[in-house]
Amino acid sequence: MTDGDYDYLIKLLALGDSGVGKTTFLYRYTDNKFNPKFITTVGIDFREKRVAYTASNPNGTATGKTFKVHLQLWDTAGQERFRSLTTAFFRDAMGFLLMFDLTSQQSFLNVRNWMSQLQANAYCENPDIVLVGNKADLADQREVQEKQAKELADKCGIPYFETSAATGAEVDKAVITLLDLVMKRMEQCVDKPPADPANGNGAAKLGEGQPNEKRCAC
Amino acid sequence: MDLSFLHVLERERVLEVLQRDRNLRMIEEERIRKMKCDLQELRRKGAKSYARQYGERTCARCQRPLGKLWNTGAVCRGCSHRICNRCRVGVADWKCTVCYAYREVKIRSGEWFLEERAKKFAATTDKYETIGEKLLKFYCVQRHIAVVPPTPPPHMEYEFRGRFRELKNSKAFTQSMEDLMVCFRSHIKKFSNSQNDVRGDLLTVDPNGKASCFRYSTQKSLSDTDINKSCSLTKRESLPNLFKKSKDSDHESSSTGAEEETSFSSEHSFDHRSSISSISTECGIFEGILVSGEMELAVAYNSSGSCLEITVGGCRNLTYGNSKKKKSHPYVKLYVLPDKNSKMKTSVKKNTTEPVYNEVFKYNIERHLLFGKRLQASVWHSGTLTKKVFLGEVLIPLDAWRQENSSFQGFYWYPLCPKAETLNGVTAENNGH
Repeated sequence: MTDGDYDYLIKLLALGDSGVGKTTFLYRYTDNKFNPKFITTVGIDFREKRVAYTASNPNGTATGKTFKVHLQLWDTAGQERFRSLTTAFFRDAMGFLLMFDLTSQQSFLNVRNWMSQLQANAYCENPDIVLVGNKADLADQREVQEKQAKELADKCGIPYFETSAATGAEVDKAVITLLDLVMKRMEQCVDKPPADPANGNGAAKLGEGQPNEKRCAC
Repeated sequence: MDLSFLHVLERERVLEVLQRDRNLRMIEEERIRKMKCDLQELRRKGAKSYARQYGERTCARCQRPLGKLWNTGAVCRGCSHRICNRCRVGVADWKCTVCYAYREVKIRSGEWFLEERAKKFAATTDKYETIGEKLLKFYCVQRHIAVVPPTPPPHMEYEFRGRFRELKNSKAFTQSMEDLMVCFRSHIKKFSNSQNDVRGDLLTVDPNGKASCFRYSTQKSLSDTDINKSCSLTKRESLPNLFKKSKDSDHESSSTGAEEETSFSSEHSFDHRSSISSISTECGIFEGILVSGEMELAVAYNSSGSCLEITVGGCRNLTYGNSKKKKSHPYVKLYVLPDKNSKMKTSVKKNTTEPVYNEVFKYNIERHLLFGKRLQASVWHSGTLTKKVFLGEVLIPLDAWRQENSSFQGFYWYPLCPKAETLNGVTAENNGH
């Protein structure tokens, strides 16, 4: 189904507790369909989608140019027994959809754990993450308040969305926001001066080179 | 990391996913290869060629002359070459066309990501392999050992080798080819990390005649006709090898059998006699430097000009030439061994461990004479006065470019190697005399 006719291959990964709806979220995003049945993911899986991306912030040369982006969306098993496998895949992803279930306080509490897993295993210390509270349609069963989640997201300096894979609300927006962050990150990484001209030290660059970038506070 | 904790069916499921991932990755690799070819084309057209006088005032990209008063050009921040107005991209913070394209490729190929990740996981040797790739490979090897008989049918192998010759590099391998390669590798007990490494292995194995030994050992159990077949194959291989061996022994100064060492020692004894400037280089410091990093090179044979074109892209993750001051002024020196008059040098890049050169060198040689020649590309730190420090080198057998129809080969990152152990002894001797 795929061909090489695209400009970027972007690899995103969804993570979070078991049953928060990672698979249905991605299914909604790629196929615009909803499957209410719960089928636990075995280890890992991925879905693909081709999107057109237009640089939203036209500073410099990229003025409203549109690119073809091929998204590879990794879906991970939330179950504990697959943990060693799923975390190993963190290091190959460029951006992360950290998901929890708005009807489960526990899944929200575990967000911090997932965050530290990311810090340890992702390609860098402060990767691009979007916090996603799923199952927003189940208003009567809601356990996590928007304010609570928003606070956590702000503290970590990451965007927050309340989505519903069942209705499709905010699903696209969450993914596109993450894509946008990754696209900006690419530019930053490449335009960063290769090294401090006085003494080209690669190690120093990591800590001090990116003062304007957000940092996770937790 | 392994999948042993999974049930059989689960493992199959995961491997299926990884297989799909591999298909995607192969498309991606092909795309990146094309992109890099285009970049090289651009570089080749533009980059300062070896044939030109260095002091000449021309734009390093379009080669148009630059004036003294107007259209004087300006130095590109990326590659430090002088560039005319027309060959710039962007307005205030401009780059030359090649540097701009280089940046684009870095973004679009996902190289930025690999580089960022390499900063965090510097210790891992397989930094350019995804975890999926690794798992899949591991389990494919296991499967094939179990399923495929240890001796692949000769015609298949013949086809494999034949096709390999055509493809040599860069083309996407079909599935069966790749599987065969896995078998092949398991036979020679070299578990290398990536396809690129496999290519490297084969390249080095080929000229040394090890390949033919391997053929003999694996095909013992075949019928008479098959043996004949493999014999004829082997002969075809070994004849030129013999020729080469005798050629090598002409230069031989020590009686060590290994080809690597012989040509090295011959190189140094030659150096001693022929060029003084070279001696100062060769007598540089070899010891105490931990070699690291990679060099980006593209080698192509230009049939119309009957010359070998070597493009030095750049280096990355070099060690410091001056480790005390954490400084490095690296340059790259090229030889087409065993010709000692073939020395070519890039410019020196100041204060960097990731120099970008984008320089093209031409070496006039008939295609058939490439046989047995090797390209030696070494990185040196140009220190104070004449002190040169060796930072690593790459040796590429040029036999591959000898009879190929398509003269094209894209860029490839070669890992830098230290000089061979015995070599230090040779150099020390040379220093002493």
